[in-house]
Amino acid sequence: MNENEHDTTLNLKCKLGMKSILPIFRCLNSLERNIEKCKIFTRSDKCKVVIQFFYRHGIKRTHNICFQESQPLQVIFDKNVCTNTLMIQPRLLADAIVFFTSSQEEVTLAVTPLNFCLKSSNEESMDLSNAVYSEMFVGSDDFDFFQIGMDTEITFCFKELKGILTFSEATHAPISIYFDFPGKPLALSIDDMLVEANFILATLADEPSRASSPQSLCLSQKQKRSDLIKKKAGKNATGQTLECISRKAAPRRIYPKETLTNISALENCGHPGMKRANGDISEVSESSVSNTEEVPGSLCLRKFSCMFFGAVSSDQQEHFNHPFDSLARASDSEEDMNNGSFSLS
Amino acid sequence: MKFRAKIVDGACLNHFTRISNMIAKLAKTCTLRISPDKLNFILCDKLANGGVSMWCELEQENFFSEFQMEGFSAENNEIYLELTSENLSRALKTAQNARALKIKLTNKHFPCLTVSVELFSMSNSSRIATHDIPIKVIPRKLWKDLQEPVVPDPDVSIYLPVLKTMKSVVEKMKNISSHLVIEANLDGELNLKIETELVCVTTHFKDLGNPPLASESTSQDRNPEHMAEVHIDIRKLLQFLAGQQVNPTKALCNIVTNKMVHFDLLHEDVSLQYFIPALS
Repeated sequence: MNENEHDTTLNLKCKLGMKSILPIFRCLNSLERNIEKCKIFTRSDKCKVVIQFFYRHGIKRTHNICFQESQPLQVIFDKNVCTNTLMIQPRLLADAIVFFTSSQEEVTLAVTPLNFCLKSSNEESMDLSNAVYSEMFVGSDDFDFFQIGMDTEITFCFKELKGILTFSEATHAPISIYFDFPGKPLALSIDDMLVEANFILATLADEPSRASSPQSLCLSQKQKRSDLIKKKAGKNATGQTLECISRKAAPRRIYPKETLTNISALENCGHPGMKRANGDISEVSESSVSNTEEVPGSLCLRKFSCMFFGAVSSDQQEHFNHPFDSLARASDSEEDMNNGSFSLS
Repeated sequence: MKFRAKIVDGACLNHFTRISNMIAKLAKTCTLRISPDKLNFILCDKLANGGVSMWCELEQENFFSEFQMEGFSAENNEIYLELTSENLSRALKTAQNARALKIKLTNKHFPCLTVSVELFSMSNSSRIATHDIPIKVIPRKLWKDLQEPVVPDPDVSIYLPVLKTMKSVVEKMKNISSHLVIEANLDGELNLKIETELVCVTTHFKDLGNPPLASESTSQDRNPEHMAEVHIDIRKLLQFLAGQQVNPTKALCNIVTNKMVHFDLLHEDVSLQYFIPALS
C-alpha cells in the first residue's frame, strides 16, 4: 500500500495495456459472486498499478501491471454548438448497424429534419462490384431527441461506430450524437450514472475547402504528437485508420497553467484512400507541430479518433487526500462536465 | 426483364431466409432462375465447383403474396441471374421480424436485386432497410447448362439417418482422411468408411429403410445385402451436411456405383438435390 504523506494532490496519467487488464476482469459472473472487495492503487516507485481482489475466507489475489507515462492528446470540441443533435437508445442504433456487411470500412449518415438514414459509403461500393449497397432508415420517432439544423450527409469509420455501440449497450443510458457538416468531427456521448464517455470521430471532408473552416483548428502538442505522426506517416494511406486514444485531462486545479495551452485538437481528415501526397504527410505534420496554426484541410490525409473517458465516483474526498491510491476510482471529471465541453482553456 | 415479389407472412419469410442460408453454405456463387411458378437456386457441375452440382426448387406461391415476372421473351419466359449467395442470405437475415419483404430486379448503376425490408419499430414510424445486391444477368445461350440435372437410375436408394449425426461423424473422419466411401444396400444399411495406411474407420447405420425403387427389375436382380459404393471427396460431403441446419422433412440418398451419390432432400416444401461425383 502506498502511503502518501503529502497534502498536495497529485495526479497520474499513464497508459496500461488492454491485454493486461482484460484477463483480470474477464469472468464477470465469478467476480460478482466471489469477490468482496477490489482495490486498485499505484506504486509509483515501481511504475506499477496494483489490482487486488479480496475473496471470502481471507483469500487475496494481487495483479501487478506496469504502466507507461503518457501525455494524452486533447480535443477542442464543443458539442453544444453543433447544428445537429440526436439522442437514441444504443440498442436501436445497434439494430440498424446489423444491416451493414462487416467488410465495410465507412458508413454514411444522412439526415434531414424528418428522417435519419444510414447507408453504405458511396466511395467504397463503387469500387467493389460485388458489394451490397444498403440503406437503413430510422424514423424520427425512434429517437429520444431529434434536432436537425440542416440536411447533412457525413461519412465516418464504421468499425469505430460498432465498437462504441457495443460499449454503450453496457450502460443503460441513451447515446447522444452531435455533428455538423462533413469534415467536422462527430461526437458520440454517453452519460450514465457512473460513467460519462465521449467519443470524437473524424468525418470525411467533402471538398478540401470545407475542412479548412475556422472550426478545424489544429493546435499541436509538442513531442507526443509529432512522434505519433512520424510513426504513422510511413503507413500506406489506403484504408488505414490512425488510432489515438487519450485519457481525459486532469482538472484545472491540478495542472500548472502552462500545460493547458499545449493542447491539440482533432484534425479533420481527407479520405484515407487518397494516395496523392502520401509522401507529404510527414512534411505537413511536422510543420503543424512547430506552428500552432491551422492546417489546410486539403493536406490532411489520415484519419484518427480520440476517446475521452472520465470515471465518476462518489468518493471525492478520499481522492483528494490520497491521489496516488486509486486510479480507476478517481473522479477528475466533475467540473469539466458541467459546461459540456472538453476544452480546458 | 422484370421481377417483383413480396412476402408478408412471417413464417414464409423465415423459411425463405433459412433456404437462403442453406444455399449460402452450399455454394459461394449460384444461379437464381425465376420462372412464373418457381424459383430455383442452381449450381452447375463445372470444374470450378469440383464437379458438384445442386438444384434447389421452390414453388413461388408457397412464399410470395405477390409475384410478377417478365422473362427474357414470351417463349423463354425465364430470368437467370448469377449472384453471390451470401449477399442474399445476409440481406434476408436482417428481415427476421419484418413486416414485409420486397424483392425486385433493378438497374441502378448496375443490375441489382433490391431487397427491401419493412421492419416493425417501437413507434409508429416504420423502419425501412434496402439492400442492393449486385447480380449478373446470364445470357440466353448459357441457359442450356443450367437445366435440371437428369438423375440416373441408382443402384441403391436409401433413406438417410439424422443428418446431424452424419455430420459429426464425417467431421471427425475428415481429420483422418480426405477420401470417403459411402456404401449402402437395399436392406436399410449405410456405411461411411475411411481408410488410411494406419487405420480404417467405419460407421454403420442400420434400419434406415429404402424407398421403393422406380424399376422393379433391378431390385429383384439385386441381392439386398449387396453394397453399392462410391468414393468421394470428404470435404464435399461435409459441405453438404454443414448446410443442413434444420433436419429435413425427407432425406434420401441414391448411389450409382463408382459414379456419383445423389442426395434428395425435402425441407417442408422446398426440394434440394445435391450431386457429388465419384473421385476418379
